[in-house]
Amino acid sequence: MNKKITAAALAMALGAAFATVSTTAAAAEMGGKEKCYGVALKGKNDCKAGAGTTCAGTSKVDYQGNAWSMVPAGTCEKTESKTSATGYGQLKAFKEKQA
Amino acid sequence: MPTPLPLVPQLRGASAPTLKIQLPSRAGLGLKPEHFQEILSTLPDLGFFEIHAENYMVDGGPFHYYLTRIREHYPLSIHGVGLSIGGEAPLDLAHINRLDKLLDRYAPASFSEHLAWSSHGHVFANDLLPISYDQPTLQRVCEHIDQVQTHLKRQMLLENPATYVEFATSTMAETDFISEVIRRTGCGLLLDVNNIYVSCINHHRDPYAYLRALPHAAVGEIHLAGFAEDIDAAGDPLLIDSHGSPVAQAVWQLYQYALDCVGSVATLIERDNNIPPFDVLLAEIQQAEHLLRTSDSAVPIAQETAA
Amino acid sequence: MNAQFFEALLDPGLLPPAGLTTWNSSDPAARFAVYRNNVIVSLIDALADTYPVTQALVGEEFFRAMARLFVRQEPPRSRVLAFYGESFPAFIETFPPAASVPYLADIARLEMLRVQAYHAADAIELPADVIAQSIARIDELPELRIKFQPSVGILCSPYAVVSLWAAHQGITDISTVDPDVPENALILRPQLDIEVIRLTNGASSFIALLLQGKSLGAAHEAASLAADFDLTDILGLLIQTQAISSMKIH
Repeated sequence: MNKKITAAALAMALGAAFATVSTTAAAAEMGGKEKCYGVALKGKNDCKAGAGTTCAGTSKVDYQGNAWSMVPAGTCEKTESKTSATGYGQLKAFKEKQA
Repeated sequence: MPTPLPLVPQLRGASAPTLKIQLPSRAGLGLKPEHFQEILSTLPDLGFFEIHAENYMVDGGPFHYYLTRIREHYPLSIHGVGLSIGGEAPLDLAHINRLDKLLDRYAPASFSEHLAWSSHGHVFANDLLPISYDQPTLQRVCEHIDQVQTHLKRQMLLENPATYVEFATSTMAETDFISEVIRRTGCGLLLDVNNIYVSCINHHRDPYAYLRALPHAAVGEIHLAGFAEDIDAAGDPLLIDSHGSPVAQAVWQLYQYALDCVGSVATLIERDNNIPPFDVLLAEIQQAEHLLRTSDSAVPIAQETAA
Repeated sequence: MNAQFFEALLDPGLLPPAGLTTWNSSDPAARFAVYRNNVIVSLIDALADTYPVTQALVGEEFFRAMARLFVRQEPPRSRVLAFYGESFPAFIETFPPAASVPYLADIARLEMLRVQAYHAADAIELPADVIAQSIARIDELPELRIKFQPSVGILCSPYAVVSLWAAHQGITDISTVDPDVPENALILRPQLDIEVIRLTNGASSFIALLLQGKSLGAAHEAASLAADFDLTDILGLLIQTQAISSMKIH
């Protein structure tokens, strides 16, 4: 790409971006990019002791291939299987909910 | 029987010009991120807040934002949980420097750590592990405390531990060990009344006698917390220092006795597990404040000075 | 003494260290187990606090069993636990029982980026006139190096990491998310709240190149190869989220 053209393209884009942001106070939706917040964190260093009723510290269960019987059993069970279509439809629906 | 303590010259720390503990003789609370906003919006009437130092050894973000604002309204106590003062290895200099930076930034009224160890090699266990009460360990703990007080240019408080096992190698009582550390290093005592109760039940001792055996004049702060109940292999009670329930009645009684011995001293309510609504903790604060006020006018029980 | 005690803490196959005593001569193993439990449980709890969505996806029982193996294999190397478990995503990726949830490791990566953004150094505000001055010096624009706030992180994934994560924040229903749609995430903390923003392929490669220290012109040229790249759009986002900390020639 020609350097002068690049410079001009950059200047135009930067100018337009700057103007858009300055004029739209709540431009929360830029190109369908959802903004999400999560929950706050705890402090992880502590001086308490866990109650001694669990056996987490003494359990000898290890992953030995066949010795492991647990399977993931959470919200992953509700997700679409890998064999579904491209999923473009679902993604679009998600965007629309956000708008 | 404990062997007589040999005469050992005092370490530098005992005479070093250290910043002394200045917490107000009131009740305070362990600061939890869950309560940041409520504290700032209501500014509850309590004596001080205490933080675990390591949680604030991060570059920026909400922890520092809220602590800075809360510090503007309250005295602060910084309580370390990871220095491993009782460990066999030399102290972690990088960690002491992190502490130094944190103390500089927040100018706390008090800094305290535990009589315990928590790391070995490069691994950190995140637990307060017990030590053997013998001469080599005593020497090491004193050197470590001296190093900390010299580096931080302030007196530190040492907390008596909650323990679940004892060592065959121990040659002295825990109270004698702690008293000697205080005598040699000039550090203060963080009297954890719950730990006294927990350890004394776990090792079949009299918590009142334990309390009497400590140097009362060195106490700079008191901790109160709740414990969990379990049993050992023989079916005898085994109490766990869980910080997950209200302060037990037996611990309140022992606290009253501690105030009779020591006088009115800054008292922390610790709650690190099953954290209840802020009001519930404030009620415990008020209970402690009530006992502090009534003990304020009383004359402390005279203590025989150690030989 | 310390070594034997410590090894037995983390390895339940070992006997408790010799030399432990109890007042009633009961088996010290039951009492030593209090320490074993506390080490393991407190570290699993630390992981659960960092990886809540990872836990929700596989369920608490599976998560804690997997975390327990990780804790034994990779106990903390730092006394500061804020970032404990940085290698947990890599562990998940090679943990066969988690293979049925192929996107799990990337969700964990996103959650660790959030924790890093949470504790990162606070943003340095870009002076208001810096952008205007940059536009004025048009010839220098392609040579400009853009630096980002310390909290800024990027994740490019073959899975719908942002949508899956958002589904656990009450924003959308997880059953409407196809996990196999590639998504890219921008993670940053303008003030106190962390933002997780979905990016196009072009936008994420543009930011990734700038993060590597490439000039604005070079990053633009390379990112333009992506069909979905929109320069105005991504610059607007970066300005709006105050992601930029400096714009300089060197």
